[in-house]
Amino acid sequence: MSRYPHLLSPLRLGPLTLKNRVVFSAHLTNYAHNGKPSEQHAAYYAARAAGGAGLIITEEHSTHVTDWPYEKLIHGFDPAVVPGYRRITEAVHAHGVPILAQLNHNGGQASSMFSRLPVWAPSPIPDPLFREVPKALELHEIRDVVDGYALVAEHCVAGGFDGVELQCSHSSIVRGFLSPATNVRTDAYGGVLENRARLLLEIVAAVRSVLGPSKALGVRLCGDELIEGGTTIEEAVAVAQLVDATGQVDYINTSIGVATATLYMIEASMQVPPGYAMFIPSAIREAVSIPVVGVGRFKDPTQAERALAAGQADLIGVVRGQIADPDFVRKARSGHAQDIRTCLSCNQECVGRMGLNRWLGCIENPRTGRESVVLPMPVRRAQRVLVVGGGPAGLQAAVTAAERGHQVTLLEKADRLGGQVPVAASVPSRAEFLDITRNLVGAAQRVGVDVKLLHEATAEEVLTEAPDAVILATGAVPQKPWWAGDLTQVVDVRDVLEGRAAPRGRVLVVDELGFHQATSVAELLADRGCQVEVATPGMVVGQDLGITLDLETWNVKAEAKGIAQLTDVVPMAAVEGITVTLQHHPTGTDVSRNVDWVVCAVQQRADDALWQALKGSPFPVHRVGDCVAPRRAHAAVVEGHRVAVSL
Amino acid sequence: MLTEPFPIGTRAAPSRVLFGPHETNLGRDRSLSDRHVAYYRERAAGGCGVIVTETASVHPSDWPYERAPLAADCGPGWAAVVAACAPALVLASLGHAGGQGSSAYSQQALWAPSAVADAVSRELPMVMEDTEIALLTAGFASAARLAVQAGCAGVEIEAGDRSLLRQFLSGITNQRPDDYGSDKARLLREVVAAVREAVGDGVVALRLSCDELAPWAGVTPEHALELVPTLDVDLLTVVRAGPYAGSAYRPDAHAPEGFNRELCAAARKVARCPVVLQGSVVSAAVATAALEEGVADLVEMTRAQIAEPALVVKLRAGLAPRPCVLCNQACRVRDARNPIVSCIGEPRSGHELDDPQVTGHASGEVLVVGGGPAGLECARVLAQQGFSVEIREAAEVLGGAVRDAARGAGRQRLADLVDWLAAECDRLGVKVVLGHAVDRGELSTYPGRVVLTTGSRPRETGHVDSRAALRGELPEGPVLVHDPVGGPVGVSVAEMLAAEGREVRVVTQDPIVGTLLSLTGDLADCNTRLQQLGVRRELKALLRKASGGTALLEDVWTGASRTVPAAVVVDCGPRLPEEGLYETGMLRAGDCVAPRTVLEAVLEGRRVALGIGA
Repeated sequence: MSRYPHLLSPLRLGPLTLKNRVVFSAHLTNYAHNGKPSEQHAAYYAARAAGGAGLIITEEHSTHVTDWPYEKLIHGFDPAVVPGYRRITEAVHAHGVPILAQLNHNGGQASSMFSRLPVWAPSPIPDPLFREVPKALELHEIRDVVDGYALVAEHCVAGGFDGVELQCSHSSIVRGFLSPATNVRTDAYGGVLENRARLLLEIVAAVRSVLGPSKALGVRLCGDELIEGGTTIEEAVAVAQLVDATGQVDYINTSIGVATATLYMIEASMQVPPGYAMFIPSAIREAVSIPVVGVGRFKDPTQAERALAAGQADLIGVVRGQIADPDFVRKARSGHAQDIRTCLSCNQECVGRMGLNRWLGCIENPRTGRESVVLPMPVRRAQRVLVVGGGPAGLQAAVTAAERGHQVTLLEKADRLGGQVPVAASVPSRAEFLDITRNLVGAAQRVGVDVKLLHEATAEEVLTEAPDAVILATGAVPQKPWWAGDLTQVVDVRDVLEGRAAPRGRVLVVDELGFHQATSVAELLADRGCQVEVATPGMVVGQDLGITLDLETWNVKAEAKGIAQLTDVVPMAAVEGITVTLQHHPTGTDVSRNVDWVVCAVQQRADDALWQALKGSPFPVHRVGDCVAPRRAHAAVVEGHRVAVSL
Repeated sequence: MLTEPFPIGTRAAPSRVLFGPHETNLGRDRSLSDRHVAYYRERAAGGCGVIVTETASVHPSDWPYERAPLAADCGPGWAAVVAACAPALVLASLGHAGGQGSSAYSQQALWAPSAVADAVSRELPMVMEDTEIALLTAGFASAARLAVQAGCAGVEIEAGDRSLLRQFLSGITNQRPDDYGSDKARLLREVVAAVREAVGDGVVALRLSCDELAPWAGVTPEHALELVPTLDVDLLTVVRAGPYAGSAYRPDAHAPEGFNRELCAAARKVARCPVVLQGSVVSAAVATAALEEGVADLVEMTRAQIAEPALVVKLRAGLAPRPCVLCNQACRVRDARNPIVSCIGEPRSGHELDDPQVTGHASGEVLVVGGGPAGLECARVLAQQGFSVEIREAAEVLGGAVRDAARGAGRQRLADLVDWLAAECDRLGVKVVLGHAVDRGELSTYPGRVVLTTGSRPRETGHVDSRAALRGELPEGPVLVHDPVGGPVGVSVAEMLAAEGREVRVVTQDPIVGTLLSLTGDLADCNTRLQQLGVRRELKALLRKASGGTALLEDVWTGASRTVPAAVVVDCGPRLPEEGLYETGMLRAGDCVAPRTVLEAVLEGRRVALGIGA
């Protein structure tokens, strides 16, 4: 008997039979090329199909020329997409997994930047993100919208999809019509719910008539928009009932939030508890007769199994979990769930790259986004590879090298692996970041990397050893900023997190990095009773938290913990006392702070002593990660992987 | 003088107007595309003397933005541009953005002289060692060889705005302990020499930051004037740019036209070659004066030619070119979304292969209701096609919302565009009736086609509309500017009122004021100006209520509320379309469809006119 009897049980979904309950739900990838699906799309979905996903739903396909909110959107309305559709569906069907296409018109949640046409919406209310006043749809244009969905459904049938899902949830013209916040029409499409749902029901009818009975049709609904005057769960349930009552829809998918207003709850980071959105499928499931999909930070099969067992949903969307590990289901089924490369919910390379118009990747899976680029064959002649340093760069290099057939030894001077990761993850709200180390250490054990802890490598030793290749991953060390003098109570974030300093009283955190270092140490110290202020030369404290969708949650916590924020300031001097002088650079005026401690989140220095000693050795010497230039974990992982592949 | 030929190196430019290198996002992957060719061709046909193509990276370690050309992929593109642009001289701009690049596309560490993080990206680069320096120099040489093999008259070496060569010149970014640190110009000299050897008798031009606006450690005019006489180049473009200079290289209209004149004149005195004046030169008058006064030998008029591709041809013919208003709204495209270079007044720019040129010998009568930018552009293009056109405008002046917008601080130049449109309409014989509000009865009896360009109206907020505030119709007392949009309007209203000595606050839901101005380059600058003017920024806040001289604000994330003085609230929020005359099926354009910007008004006004003529 499987440990996951619910998760791994089959399910009938209209005309389809799914092998299990794990859905690779729709999400943007930015893999499209000139409006068409790419080879990368096919390889990406095929990898998840090969890994055992029960159902795959592609990213959205635009249904009309007026809808082009971001550059790399698939123009489903263009018949030229069909060959690309075929490539995707054939690649996925080869693994016996059904695949649906998601159809959408983003409505007012868009700009005219790419389309050069007015944005369409129910009413002339600008979107909170794009802020472009849309054109209120005229009745003949509503017909065009419906026809657009039907047209793209035709393309999907021709392209071999097993059905379609209508995006009516977090970024959609249908959501725009459903929501009282964006629909103030006074005609048959506005006012009471039956009117606001009219467009949805017209689209359902039009699409079903194209699909016929042999294809599946799903509708994705928003359970709570989390905006003022927006849709909440009661009305979402009522909409779901209207959808169910059509008898034409095979399942309901769910989501929470509005992509252009409350995205941080749609693609929640590790700051938001897992399962946070399951009240939505739970409520809808009680009111409808068709299967319901629940989503929201499902990281491991046990968690998904429990949600199904509790009757919260019939299917579970596992998106980031399968971005990080395409073999999520296969490993669960074969009794190797502990080998799953669990998602961190860090949002750095998946969600974080979407808003920046870059292809989707993963902080810990260097192959995500590169599935269509075939790796060279594993080596025939194993080399003796010595990796120095057991942070993410060294670990990834060691794992990849061993996977490719090399004989790998990893030397780590500390008593544990992970480098700076366990340090960063020691802040309670960042604990899940530690999974990257857990995953890499597990992989290193499985592939037989010979790990030697408490072993500080010297140049002499390496030269004597004379391996076939050396990969240096010696990391970075904190450096004191020039303005700090030799004050002992001006310390680095790492000094605090690694236990070398224990600030008390009034603490000024100086943030020159704009990422988690300053904000998480501020939170930690506030929790310890310190009176904390974060100062930055930037315009916003923790600016890059905006990219990972952590800025909202951090600000709420900061307010609750009494953390003050000071922007646009550059530290100029710190003298005994401690008095810190900062210059407010827009006005050139000085700001002064009297504090007990200063904690610096500033750039580190590459620890490249071994590189300097070993470069030019008779054997190849490579360096990866922070010892090249101190950066974030993803740089370490991709460099470790790349160098190991190149051996 | 400006429109006359000028010798450069062994070549001759057909005029003294230069089209400088700039990001276009017209590329296909990392090569120059047919869209690039069409874009440059129009400027060459318009009489441009020197076209410097979009900067190409000389080495794969540099991939600063997704569509950044890579020199190794540019050979065929350069050849096609050269073939399309004769007799204009085509120079290939070659560069490496170094620490000002991005690792997002290459997924590799950035190269830089020292481990100094870029002030904007905060990304720490790797320190270049001898290996990388050799690769860089070789990269410049091989790229230059490829460019001249493709037929380019030569190359321009990028040591200006985002440039590894400038980073080596600057004490801010170059803290090396080796020879390249003690002699900061060494790398530039080596690159120039390698390029010179590679191009033979081709032109070696240089774009050089002569002022990083960071005198504590950066390149200063004094340093630059010592360096310039030592440089063996054929053409020198003098710019100001540096790691903390943000928008200074190509600022919007908040900087005066021709701001580099003094710096350029000083460089010309010591340079061994002709010198180009760069920096917001958009009018023939300023350009000509610079040549006559000995400030420069050529003038870079990049944005002027984005706005008016036929700039030189029109000047030669005595016609008024379409003015660049230095708004940076559509032509500054360093943005993750990869927008295509364009222009609010000439939306065909960047879309030369998509948008038709205005031609035709149509006839018939058309009534245009409303004389804002949409109506004016529509009338102008109709008249150009041969229609007999009449504009009826309710106000006593043409220009619509732009007239009011142009009263905002730093926005005066906007009026140049509607003035030009009005003058063109006049020249083309468009009949204009002012002070005449059209009614439905009038439309039903009009014999020809009708186009509605009736603009927008304010939402009913109970506050003072931004346009009224811009016209000065504002009661006394502390002002709260409510700006939920984050575009140029709210900022310009606040600045205008603060400059009048009022107590001003701006309230926005965002963590900074003017969020949308990241595209124009004014985002950091506008926040600085507002703070210097003493404008209080009420950030991350929603306006909940205003009465009795105060306003109630609420924090967007925590819900905490606070009260601020506000005798008057100016609403800079979105507006509503003026649809009073509209009936299904009527032709319309611009704000009366959906209130947006000048760009959409002009684009749609033209489209409707071309549609009528088709």
